[in-house]
Amino acid sequence: MDQKTLYDTIDPEILTRVNARQEEISKGASINSKLAAALALGSIPVALAALTKDVFAQAPSDVLDVLQFALLLEQLEAEFYDRGVAASGLIDAGDMAIFAQIKAHEDAHVTAIQALITGKGATPNAKPTFDFTAHGAVAGFNFSAGQYETFKALAQAFEDTGVRAYKGQAPRLINDKAVLTAALTIHAVEARHASEIRRLRGLKGWITGASRDDLPAFTQGIYDGEDNVMQGGVDVSSLSLTASNGGVDAATQAFDEPLTKAQVTAIVMPFIATS
Amino acid sequence: MAQKNTLVISSADQLLEARTRRDFLKVLGVGGVMVLLPTALAACGDNNAVTGPRPGSGNALTIDFANGDFAVLQFAYALEQLEADFYTKAVAQFGSSGLSAAEQATLADIKNHEIIHREFLKAALGATYGFTITTTYPAVNFSSRSSVLGTAATFEDLGVAAYNGAAQYISSTDYLTLAGKIVSVEARHASAIHDLIAPKTSAFAPKTFDDAFSPTKVAGMAQGYIVDKLAFANAPSTFVQGPNNNG
Repeated sequence: MDQKTLYDTIDPEILTRVNARQEEISKGASINSKLAAALALGSIPVALAALTKDVFAQAPSDVLDVLQFALLLEQLEAEFYDRGVAASGLIDAGDMAIFAQIKAHEDAHVTAIQALITGKGATPNAKPTFDFTAHGAVAGFNFSAGQYETFKALAQAFEDTGVRAYKGQAPRLINDKAVLTAALTIHAVEARHASEIRRLRGLKGWITGASRDDLPAFTQGIYDGEDNVMQGGVDVSSLSLTASNGGVDAATQAFDEPLTKAQVTAIVMPFIATS
Repeated sequence: MAQKNTLVISSADQLLEARTRRDFLKVLGVGGVMVLLPTALAACGDNNAVTGPRPGSGNALTIDFANGDFAVLQFAYALEQLEADFYTKAVAQFGSSGLSAAEQATLADIKNHEIIHREFLKAALGATYGFTITTTYPAVNFSSRSSVLGTAATFEDLGVAAYNGAAQYISSTDYLTLAGKIVSVEARHASAIHDLIAPKTSAFAPKTFDDAFSPTKVAGMAQGYIVDKLAFANAPSTFVQGPNNNG
């Protein structure tokens, strides 16, 4: 294989770091087991792939992975609101302006993320078939008139999940400022949606402790860990002014917590139909 | 008339200084006179009552980006101080604000969050990087529901745009996550405030993408409420725009 040709296809920033890392390794630095195995097999592409991961925590493939993951979440939300807004007699007429706005946002988010993926030279994943009964956990839900309370509860679940999902992926975007900034501007809009729907349901716009409030038990994963009070090594529940300003409840409300991709996947999987 | 019984006011700012106020009372107490020179009112707009020190009239408050992530945290600290102070004043004047009980409960929650954000950043920055800003609200009427809610909406929207725009200058993934933890709560606030102002409309989330403003743009907007003169040293020369391309 012509190594130079292969190198020419690689992001120069990675190449710089790969070269630096190669020097370190040649000077005796430890290498990870995948890289060692690949080198032992004499496989340059595999070794290079391992080396790329080894030296660069946020490889471009990470950015694409985040974008495809975000696309799935936006597709879920977009179809949910598309069907909800189109359904006859589901949404209270007085609330339609709220959901029409959210629907328009989620549709636009799908389009925007698809464009970001295309811009990276990749193909956006196709939309899967969704199951809004969550494999029966939301028994009988099919956007019918009279199911508005269930619709709003699911909306809250999706929005609160979306906020935590984007937050959890932000570190993987730290070296791609354009995608990071775009993702954060969507993240904040999801938080606005979440607050609005929560308040529409008679709740506070913010999450207290790890409470799912009145949502069914299968949504608890969406709120697990929201009771964290350790922020950057500081226990914000024991700051001197916290006790007189809402106490531990306020300390947990004041910070939204991230979810990992695995945690979000576990939340979302029930909403994807099994064929 | 003895000179000590005459108080000469040559600029509007003097009216707001504690020493001037003390002198004023002393002068009144002995039946003296106060002389308002024409220059005292020359700087005042026709319709704007002066209710505090002029924004930006104080000492320079310089945030040095050579300090890396600490500069971003300092920038956030200035904004959180402003928000916390604003809501503290708003809560203190609930009695005359015309805000409903539900609206007061929402603003009281937000006040708590902003104080905790401020105190968290204070602890994170420590004595080395910490500072205290002086606020001023020349155009805010704390006895007006619409003025309080309108100002709150301005601050929350600005906070969201500030964090979104500053995130690109953070080099630590831990601090990036922390900024993310705070910004979504600011967005939740913004949504709630806008919904109080215009219930059940699209106002809670007026844009498909939230704004991402450069620190320079944010400072320019926040300066209207801060006496200290905000300044940057070693500010980043580039800013990556968000989707709204307005930062």
